[in-house]
This record gives sequence, C-alpha cells and structure tokens, in this order.
Amino acid sequence: MGSYLVERSVFIDWISRLARHEKVYFPLPVSKSSFRFSRVRSRSRLALEDFDDPRQAKPFRASACIPPPVRLLAPDNELLFTFRRDSAGDCHPTPVLDHNRRILAGVRPCDLKAIALMDRFQGDGIADPYYLARRGNTLLIGHDCLQPCDEYCFCEAAGSLSWRQGADIFLTPQPQARLLVEPLTDQGAALLADAGFPACSDVQACRARAAARRPTPFARQFKAPLARVMHAVAESWQSPVWERHAGRCFSCGTCNLVCPTCSCFDVRDDFNVEDPDSGRRTRHRDACMLEDFAEVAGGYNFRKSPAARQRHRVMRKFVYLPQRFGGTGFCVGCGRCGRQCTVAIDIFTIATDLLAGAGEAA
Amino acid sequence: MKNRLPRPRIAFFDMAGCEGCQLAILDCEDIFLDLVDLVEIVQFREAMSETAPRYDIAFVEGSIHREIDADRLRDIRARSHRLVALGGCACHGNVQARANDWAPAENLQRVHGADTAHRVQTDGRYWPLWAHTRVRALHEVVEVDYLLRGCPVDRDEFLHLVKRLLAGSRPTFPAQPVCVECRRHGNECVFLQGETCLGQVTRGGCGAVCIGGGYRCDGCRGLLPDANLASHRQLLRERGLDAEAIDQRYRLFLSGEITDREGTDEQ
Ligand code: SF4
Ligand code: SF4
Repeated sequence: MGSYLVERSVFIDWISRLARHEKVYFPLPVSKSSFRFSRVRSRSRLALEDFDDPRQAKPFRASACIPPPVRLLAPDNELLFTFRRDSAGDCHPTPVLDHNRRILAGVRPCDLKAIALMDRFQGDGIADPYYLARRGNTLLIGHDCLQPCDEYCFCEAAGSLSWRQGADIFLTPQPQARLLVEPLTDQGAALLADAGFPACSDVQACRARAAARRPTPFARQFKAPLARVMHAVAESWQSPVWERHAGRCFSCGTCNLVCPTCSCFDVRDDFNVEDPDSGRRTRHRDACMLEDFAEVAGGYNFRKSPAARQRHRVMRKFVYLPQRFGGTGFCVGCGRCGRQCTVAIDIFTIATDLLAGAGEAA
Repeated sequence: MKNRLPRPRIAFFDMAGCEGCQLAILDCEDIFLDLVDLVEIVQFREAMSETAPRYDIAFVEGSIHREIDADRLRDIRARSHRLVALGGCACHGNVQARANDWAPAENLQRVHGADTAHRVQTDGRYWPLWAHTRVRALHEVVEVDYLLRGCPVDRDEFLHLVKRLLAGSRPTFPAQPVCVECRRHGNECVFLQGETCLGQVTRGGCGAVCIGGGYRCDGCRGLLPDANLASHRQLLRERGLDAEAIDQRYRLFLSGEITDREGTDEQ
C-alpha cells in the first residue's frame, strides 16, 4: 500500500471535505485545556501536531480528551432494544444495532491500543453485538505522538507509545509542516485513493525521523519493566498502599468513566407514556469506584471501602484482564484518570508504590 | 396496560417552598396529556382546584416550619398510600434550613428587628412569627416513601418515579455523586477549569445540568450518604477558599445536613 507525504493544511482540508459526506469525529477543544471527540462541522478548529514545534499548534492531547474515543463505540444512554407487549402479555424485543459508518480521526496510539483491547474484550465470551456493530463500521485514523501529553502520561511505560494496530490510516508529523499518511488497511487505502496526495518515496526514513524527534525516555517510567510491575500488583492484595491512596478518594467514579478500557454498565427499562404497551431498554456507563457498585440483593456490599474498590480497579487493569487475554496490560497509560481525579489519585503512583513495596518485602 | 391498571389518584400539596417544583412538573407539557391519561390528578393548586379524600400518590413540596404545617402533613400522610417528598425543600430543608443555624429569637431579630422579636412574646398578632421554630424536612415529621430531589426536581426523575409506580415496580435513585453525570456527558471538570464545585459530595440524578450550563454544583440535591467531607474541605482549602467561604458554600443548600462548621472546629 502506497504512503503519502502531504502538507498538513492540505490534509486538514481533506478531512473537512470528507466530513461533508461522512460522519467524521475529531478531538475538538472544549476549553483552554480539554478536548472532546466531536462531529467535524467546519475546518476551523482542526489542529494537528507540528514536527518542528510540537507544542505550538495547540494540538489535542490524549489525556486531555475528557471521554476517550472508544466511548463513541459504547455511548452512554445507548438504546439496546425497543419492546412491545401483545394482547397476551408477551413482550417482543426489537434490537437496535447502530450500523452507521463513522470515521474517528486523530486517535492517539494509547487510544488505538485501548480500542484494540476492547475489540478483544467485547468479542470474547458472550460478545457484545452493540459494540461490535459500531466497531465494524468505524474507520480509525491514528496519529503518532512526538511529545508526551503532559505530566500524567506514561504511555511508553505502559507499552502503548508505538501502537498502530487497528488503525486504518496512520499519521506521523514530518518537518516543514508535513505529514506522513500511511494506509494500513484496504479500507484506509480506499479512503485515500482519490485524495490526490503526493506519494512518499521513503517511508522508513520518515518514520525514523519522527522516532528520533521524541524525547527519551518518553513521559513517566516505572522503575522496572512492565511485567515486573504487573507481578508486583498481583502480589499486593494485603498491601498498605491501597489504604494510603484511598483516604482522599470521593468514590466519584471519574477514574472509571474516563478510562478507555473500563466498560461496566447498568441497564434500565422504561415504558412509553404515550403508549404504555411499548418501551425501551437503555444502557448506562457504570463505575466500580462508586459506593453502591458492588451492592447485591439484600443490601450486602462486597467492596465496601474505597481502598477495596481502588484495589479492584487497579487489579483489573494490571492483573485480571491480562490473565484472561494473554499478558497485555489493560492500562494503556493515557493518564486520563490521574489528570481528572480532583485529589490527584494516580494509577501510575499507586503501581509505583506497589512496586517499591514489593522490593522492600523481597 | 391502559386498560389493565386502575388510574392512581395523584395529588400535589405545597408547604414552605417556591412551588417551582410543581412548575417543573408542568414543564412535562409534551407528554403531560398522555400522563394525565394514565393517572387521575385530584389536587394540584398550580393547575386546578378540586380536592379528594384519599390519594394513591401524594406529592408534597416544601419544608415544614410551623406546627400547623406538620399537622397538615400528618393528615395528608394518613390519607395517602404513597407519599413523595417533592424537591430539595421537602427532602432536606434546602436553603431555608439555614435558619436553623440561629436560635429562633435571634432569627426574628435578624429578620424583623429587635422590636418585633420582643412583641412576639406580648402581642397575639405577632405569634404566627414565633411559630416559625425549626425548619424540618418531611421525613422528620412523617414517613416518606420516595424522595425526588433537586431545586427544582428533575422532570425525568419525576417521570421515572410515576412510570415505575404505574408499572408496579420500584423506582430507583442511585446515591451517586454529580461527577458521574458530568463524566457521562463528557463535561470538563469544574476544578480543571480552575473553579470549585460541590459535585463530589452531592447526590446526582440531575444530569449535571448546572455544570453543563457553564456553572458549578452548589449541592441542591443533598449530601451523599458516604460523602468524604474531610477530603472535600481540604480540597476547597487547597483551591484557595477560606473557612468562611467554605461554610457559605456548604450552607447554601446543605444546612439541613452539614451542621458542623469549618470556621469553628474541624469535623
Ligand atoms: S477519580 Fe479520584 S476521587 Fe474519584 S473515584 Fe477515582 S480515585 Fe476516587
Ligand atoms: S487506568 Fe488511567 S491511565 Fe490507565 S488506561 Fe485507564 S484512564 Fe488511562
């Protein structure tokens, strides 16, 4: 598949043209410091990273995208099915699957990895048809990172920095306001076919140039390889670290709700006032840090303390899901949870403390 | 269902409040007529004037200030199968519970002047003022089946409650902070904007409308049962609020629930 070397502004023109007849989503600024993947309606706020001055163009940052892009594949208040009750009292559901085609452009490597992980998760066991229907009709345009998002990011340590699997097209900033545009799938290639972009003669050199532009190390690092961190977390059930990081927690669920690999939900049934024999079931994002998450019939709560809930959240990222899916960590190091927690409870610090504790014990 | 369920008799009453909650319910105008088809509204001062002796669901708005209001509430309770506290005033005393911070005599003096405060003791015409003793939420007087929180109530929560009761199932109002709805809606956290907010210690269910509209949460839906107030006070201090400002923020809507003060002693 041929790649292209394009001026950044030409590429942005192309995206905004594409958005006229496709549903294109791009991380657009919602304030001075935050972004949200939103439908592209005009060219004006589309900004990509600059090779020579990565901070100057005020590009989007993954950690600053309030909800992760994967949420577009599993939105809140999602309609699962409508139902109708017949005269015999039996209910007949009609599933509502969203097969609309959409393009998510500007997805950073950490979020690409998160989507790849959720593809596996949602397809495993009892597959989630709603997620898979959306995903099957979604094209991803990835975008490389030359600078860490901010002080919360730890994507390299989490093994996400150079992730491109799952992207249909991958963008890499180049000198002189240009962009390396690589189609990675047939669908990506088809989308680019009549863009009229000039071909790139040396893709490897362009990639190497970008890689060399990155600082080393890239963002925060654990003091040991990821596998040892994961092992330390697995061995930490009794650790005092959980309590230490729970004292200021509000159990507000933010860290779950902004995480690209959190997927818990609750469902709600409702009948229609204007026609009480019909109704709908909707799905709402849930969060294991919430006080009532583990409350079961009879009012018993099996994770009553914030420390126990925090332990569950971290174990799920570093231990439970990796065990089930062959060793890959489910925390992608995007830094969203640390950035958006109002009392700066940071999964990176927790993992670092657990690692240090494991060292002391050994 | 229309033909299977008897139409429950619904009534609305108001105690001390602004009647804004009843207006918020009238705001369901797009489906109000369908709703009226499913229920029988037997008392609603904001919209009609009939009354009835028994109610299947009584919605009571406002807080209780005088003993005659408490008696009226007991009477409504005795005649109602289900009683719903409608709005922040009925649920936790809301703004007017601030009055409970001072002794009644001191309150009278602050509001009506020293002369009036004394005449309450001697002049029969002033006694109704004295009857204003302590602001109470409905549940401090009678048993309340459901609470519809907020200032004003949220129309979707109202509809949820009515529909669930009609369907014979239990309405659910999860005790979750406002933050949950901010994140579900993709709102930027007020603290990230450099402002402060009561969302972490306040019950959600409102759809975080105030934050979505560019403001902050002031706590009108009441304090979460497991609110981490110590952490929240510390956070507000770290963000530059002094003891008095913190007290002011908590006491606007939460006087009925937070009685200790930042200014006097720590928790
Ligand atoms: S975002 Fe912070 S305060 Fe909220 S539940 Fe997570 S760790 Fe606790
Ligand atoms: S746990 Fe935090 S840093 Fe890790 S993927 Fe989730 S939001 Fe990102």
